[in-house]
Amino acid sequence: MRLLLVEDEVEIQSFLRRSLEEAGYEVEAASDGKTAARLAAEGPFDILIVDLGLPDQDGIGLILHLRQMGVSAPVLILSARRSVDDRVRGLEQGGDDYLTKPFALAELLARLRNLLKRNSPKGGEATRLRVLDLELDLLRREAARGGQVLQLTQQEFVLLEYLCRNAGRVVTRSMILDKVWGMRIQPDTNVVDVHIYRLRGKVDGAGQQPLIRTMRGVGYVLKDR
Amino acid sequence: MSSKTGKPRIRSAAWRISLWATFAFACGTLVFFVFLQDFVASDIQRRTDAWLSGEVEVLGDVAEHTPKNALYSRVVSEVAELATREVPNRLPSEDNFNDSVFFLQTGRDGALKLWVGIGSGDTALKAIEAVRILSDHPTDLRVPGFAVPFRVASIPIKDGSRIYLGLSERDDLRVLKDLRLRFFLLWLLLVLLGFGMVFFSTRRMLSHVRNITEAASTIGHSDLNARVPVARRRDEVSQLALTLNNMLDRIERSMHQLHTITDSLAHDLRSPLTAIRGKLESSLTAADEERDEAIVSAIDELDRLTDFLNKSLDVAEAKADALRVARSQVDLDELLRVMIDLYEPSMSEKGLKVEMQSSGPLRVLADPALLHRMIANLLDNELKHLPANCTVRIGLLSSDEAASIVFEDDGPGFDPEVLAQLFERRVKGRGSNGHGLGLAFVDAVARAHGGAVTAENPDRGGARIAVALPLVSGAPCDSTYSPAVART
Repeated sequence: MRLLLVEDEVEIQSFLRRSLEEAGYEVEAASDGKTAARLAAEGPFDILIVDLGLPDQDGIGLILHLRQMGVSAPVLILSARRSVDDRVRGLEQGGDDYLTKPFALAELLARLRNLLKRNSPKGGEATRLRVLDLELDLLRREAARGGQVLQLTQQEFVLLEYLCRNAGRVVTRSMILDKVWGMRIQPDTNVVDVHIYRLRGKVDGAGQQPLIRTMRGVGYVLKDR
Repeated sequence: MSSKTGKPRIRSAAWRISLWATFAFACGTLVFFVFLQDFVASDIQRRTDAWLSGEVEVLGDVAEHTPKNALYSRVVSEVAELATREVPNRLPSEDNFNDSVFFLQTGRDGALKLWVGIGSGDTALKAIEAVRILSDHPTDLRVPGFAVPFRVASIPIKDGSRIYLGLSERDDLRVLKDLRLRFFLLWLLLVLLGFGMVFFSTRRMLSHVRNITEAASTIGHSDLNARVPVARRRDEVSQLALTLNNMLDRIERSMHQLHTITDSLAHDLRSPLTAIRGKLESSLTAADEERDEAIVSAIDELDRLTDFLNKSLDVAEAKADALRVARSQVDLDELLRVMIDLYEPSMSEKGLKVEMQSSGPLRVLADPALLHRMIANLLDNELKHLPANCTVRIGLLSSDEAASIVFEDDGPGFDPEVLAQLFERRVKGRGSNGHGLGLAFVDAVARAHGGAVTAENPDRGGARIAVALPLVSGAPCDSTYSPAVART
């Protein structure tokens, strides 16, 4: 997976490059719009990360310019601005995504995966998900562990499905709120933790290997090994 | 900043304005006086002509009826009389015999028959023949040897001869010259007076402007409390001063707000930053397990800090009426149910019950993201402040023009000390460990949508917060907030 990272702040660029390479991406980095346009013209990229505040031009302007050049890869927009620009909303509707700084690395990686998945041809949606001995029937909305059906509410099923789809990877609280409840909020209270706690009570029964792990400071992960 | 360069520039403006005004005024009055002079001159000539025509008729009569031998002396006495008494506009101290009137009679053949006047009649006759005075209307005539022209009237007599009566225009011209001199002096006086008035009033006006400029240039260097002087008169200059002062008021308010925000931000950021720094620093020397613990708790602290930062900026922005609202159709009933779904487990974990009362879908034109955060703030508020075994009732009501989201609980109610300014930023109850931003944000979101929030402690106990949002039809026009939306 070739990734073009356009970020002018050296610190952020270097830590992102390291983390992205660890996650298996082949990273090319640019510190300004001009270099980014040149790199994009040289070789095809599967995905782009573009910071909005570039020294020589506006990030949105760069994205539109790249689109005109024929670059069709999805873009993850990084923004230090607090509220989301109307133009970013426009790009979001066009299939791109955005993330405001500061962000959790796990969330950045998840959003990248999402963008790549969205843009790859879909080979027939699976109707069943399986992680170790946990099995989800997406049509009947039923989950079972070790052959035993779990009594889950509708909401809990959606939450578990989201964890399963991201099995082995960390999901943050704000990602869960975004994908399961459809809202970008940051509650003062531990509302998500309570949901996870209840779900864990039903999924990880006594004597069973615990599947849902808390990654303190980051979020949760559903173990797949 | 501009006080040094301001003075000469303003003086030159006064000069320029005065000169242009004076020029226009001088031209206007000049035209007026020229017309007036023309009018007087033509009037004098008209009267002279009338007099001449009358006299020449009388003399014609005399010439006709007086026997030839007596005619000369008769005419001489008549002319002398005319010259002494009846000539209009005549100076009293003139020579005894006149050089201002002449009488001339020509025979049928046009030869000189009778001449009364100074000098020889031949020169006058030649001049008359040169201009051929035939009509009865008086005409100008230049006679060689005389500095000023004569006005000459003529009349035919029955015996075929013709008489001419000439009157020097000397007196008329002198009167007109006098008049012109007086007019010129008067005009000069008026122009100077006008220039003086314009110059001094302009300078006075501009000195007001200069005062404002000087006052304004010192404001900002020293402090924002000072204001520019406002004249008592309600003219454009005092309007300018008032406008400037209003602008300064607004700037001062924003500055004050900015100071408050930066002060409180500094205060609120320092302690968590200190904690984070301390934790990370101590993790440098700690064992692996402790180190992880420190790092994790530092990350948690950072997340809280980010959240706090976002909320304060939101509230600050909202207080400045600059909250960006991206409106779309929102079903409040569904939105509330989803949010309650999200919060219900935490509530029951704490021993709280949640009930929802709604009469079905209720659509409003609103920003769903802002509403989500607003409701989350209200629910967080309940979750944080209610003791166990309380019930939160969430109601969705609608009237003709507004939808109301009502939160009621049977807890201890709001701290009466803070109830009055509950929606002010940083106001929080005594026992609260929050930032005091939550309800300020709720208020800001409601107002950004053209709605309002009310909070009270009902008589039956507990606390009650009602958020009223205008319905789709009655929603305030987007224009109120669209400038803020466009200004991204």
